[in-house]
Amino acid sequence: MSTVQFLMDGFATAFQWHNLLFAFAGVVIGTAVGVLPGIGPMSGVALLIPVTATLTSGLPAEAAAASSIILLAGVYYGAMYGGSTTSILLNTPGESSSVVTTLDGYQMAKQGRAGAALSIAAIGSFIAGIVALIGLVLLAQPLSNIALEFGPAEYFSLMLLGLAAVSGLAGNSMTKALIMTIAGLLLATIGIDAVSGIARFTYDIPVLFSGIEFLTIAVGLFALGEVFKTILEKDEEDENIAKINRIFPTKQDLKDSTPPIIRGSLLGFFIGVLPGAGATLASFFSYITEKKVSKNPEKFGKGAIEGVAAPESANNAASGGAMIPLLTLGIPGSGTTAILMGALIMYNVQPGPLLFEENPDVAWGLIASMFIGNLMLLVLNMPLVRVFAKIIQTPKKYLLPIIVAISVFGVYAVQFATFDLYLLIGCGLLGYLLSKNDYPVAPLVLALVLGPMIENNMRRALTISNGEFSIFLTSPLSLVFLIAAAAWLLVPLLLKLKGRQVIINEED
Amino acid sequence: MFKKWSMFAAAGALTLGLAACSSSSTDENNENVSGGSYPERAVTVVAPSGAGGGWDLTARSISKIMSDTELMEQPLTVENKPGGGGAVFMAEFATKEADNDYMLMVKSPPILINNHKAEGNSPYGYKDTKPLAQLTRDYGAIVVKADSEFDSLTSLLDAIKADPSNITLAGGSAPGSMDHLVGILPVFEYGIDPKSVKYVSYDGGGEAIASLLGGNADVIATDASTITEYVKSGDVRVLAVSSPEKLEGELSDVPTFKEAGLDTDFTIWRGIFGPKNMSDAAFEYWNTKLSEMVETEEWKAELEKNGWASEYRNADDFTTYLEEQEKVIIELLTALDMQKQ
Repeated sequence: MSTVQFLMDGFATAFQWHNLLFAFAGVVIGTAVGVLPGIGPMSGVALLIPVTATLTSGLPAEAAAASSIILLAGVYYGAMYGGSTTSILLNTPGESSSVVTTLDGYQMAKQGRAGAALSIAAIGSFIAGIVALIGLVLLAQPLSNIALEFGPAEYFSLMLLGLAAVSGLAGNSMTKALIMTIAGLLLATIGIDAVSGIARFTYDIPVLFSGIEFLTIAVGLFALGEVFKTILEKDEEDENIAKINRIFPTKQDLKDSTPPIIRGSLLGFFIGVLPGAGATLASFFSYITEKKVSKNPEKFGKGAIEGVAAPESANNAASGGAMIPLLTLGIPGSGTTAILMGALIMYNVQPGPLLFEENPDVAWGLIASMFIGNLMLLVLNMPLVRVFAKIIQTPKKYLLPIIVAISVFGVYAVQFATFDLYLLIGCGLLGYLLSKNDYPVAPLVLALVLGPMIENNMRRALTISNGEFSIFLTSPLSLVFLIAAAAWLLVPLLLKLKGRQVIINEED
Repeated sequence: MFKKWSMFAAAGALTLGLAACSSSSTDENNENVSGGSYPERAVTVVAPSGAGGGWDLTARSISKIMSDTELMEQPLTVENKPGGGGAVFMAEFATKEADNDYMLMVKSPPILINNHKAEGNSPYGYKDTKPLAQLTRDYGAIVVKADSEFDSLTSLLDAIKADPSNITLAGGSAPGSMDHLVGILPVFEYGIDPKSVKYVSYDGGGEAIASLLGGNADVIATDASTITEYVKSGDVRVLAVSSPEKLEGELSDVPTFKEAGLDTDFTIWRGIFGPKNMSDAAFEYWNTKLSEMVETEEWKAELEKNGWASEYRNADDFTTYLEEQEKVIIELLTALDMQKQ
């Protein structure tokens, strides 16, 4: 049978009324899960596995597997849609892949363009979802082979490029961005080393053994930092700014967003295919790409719609791309896909090289349902924009306690430790002081996420090469990444030495 | 004003409501549970690795059978906590979670190995937990890609002997942990210095298989049970298994270490552990429930599907077995010059 025939069979499965219902329930819950920080897609999916198991218990095994995975996958990509909401409205990223969305999204919301930001995030996510699915249908096999070729050396160089690119994020001073990056890398070394099992910087304090939780730092620096700023600086003027002019994006907004959405979708999809790289890297690579290709990069960080459209498309496309290694190789690329894989195994469906042969109904039914689910999400999210966008008009005296409450609940729900609450408050104060002195916080958060991955892949690569650093240069792909990374840091420096004015150092 | 709030609240309530569903639907049956009211809510069983490895599959099988057979009214959810070959979560389990009756852990020989190896020693061993039961037995496997030049364990070992820097051995856990031991055991028996072998550790068996398929590793050491899917699809070839006798099923043609001329074997037992200060009620509950579970047809079918041999020991026998196994591991590590002084 041809791919088209398989896909049609998949649609036949997905269009069964109970599966439509499952897909709908999945995306609705996913949106809610994405909106609330603390319950990330991972815990959301894990929480629902026993529920779906009960709901599908009456169906034959294969059909039950298809129905539950349709619902659970709906939660997964639904959360990617919803994830932007708190980033844009409250400066509170719920997960690492929506950190960059805060940079311009929150600025847009402050300017009364929350509606436009939310709509463009939904539209971008929809287009990206469809692009990723078409990629999944057409390119699953060849791409899974390419993903396998990605060894430790390639991963290391790709992530190093990511870190170098971080310096282009926000702020006026590259030095300050680099300081924050290094600080993030240092924080990432705390905990038991995953390669050797040796405890580092833990001082025998048990809470430090598993390292510093990213969510605590991100929510503290972004959300609480903003709260402290508002309180300490008695930011009253916002009351007027926060009026909403219009809910939907203007023609100009749509025109500005189209290329970033397309670029973000493609970039996100390909990065998503790589196991372990995932949505975070995709979202901020696409943001930086937009900033680089933009004719006026100075408007990024001040409410550029491209800065919302690109990363939101990218993280959604990445979640589609991540299905490729999961379904074709049985290799989960992220925490959430690992749980999806566990759910499939529960139904005796083994994701891996034999999935498409042994359980075509499950595999193609899932793919078809993702087309339908993405459409549902668009229809569902556009009216919600109107509702959510008004949150920003809430007077500060009500809004601030809510942000604090959401932050505290979210962090405690993930960590169950009072230590993290103290850390959260500490990070809030730090976040205020840092942004007051123009130290960008995004590089710190991203370095914290990337740090362990960079380190582990570097050590693996060096073991393979018997300690020869040349392994990073002899692999062509790795070499390209390294050259790009070096160029990123050195070119502005050289231009500056020559006395030319450089964009990145331009003061407004 | 009010309208906006209610809409926002509705979105939140939806999620909370769903979270509540998972527990409320089962509350009514609680009185039947032996040993008082435990468990009052969902219990978590942690696989201290990424998804797809042996611990993960074992945890998910237990969770599945407990719910399929309705032995447990409360859901048993699986969580993955990777890092340090299990050492990261072990530290948490022995300290932060020591009183948490709702947190269990699936583990295997690394609980002993990590506690006794010199490099990356974990200060916590099985004595910092409450062993509940041994459930299964599995073996190690030495695996190469289907198109690899190595067609026997001996040809691989000869190549390593000739130039250890040419062959990359990968596994899903840290150096000095189980995949590493399985991999270097034949190497050691063949008379090669185990320290000369290049070992690359990945986060879980799944990533290790990816590195093999992508050509970033020449050979991997993993569990015999997790590799069968890739043998069936024709992607990999198993050179040897660490069992004392030939296995059944998909790997029935594969020689054992002994048949390959190496006088050694290695058994991977898997068991389930409770926290150190587990309450008596919870301990009794699990001891009973697990002994009931291993008798069910569903569990037997699950074992067969995964290629695991059944080997059940209750809490007391398991504790005695662990004492014996600890001695075996110390002997092995001493032979490899890797034991903690």
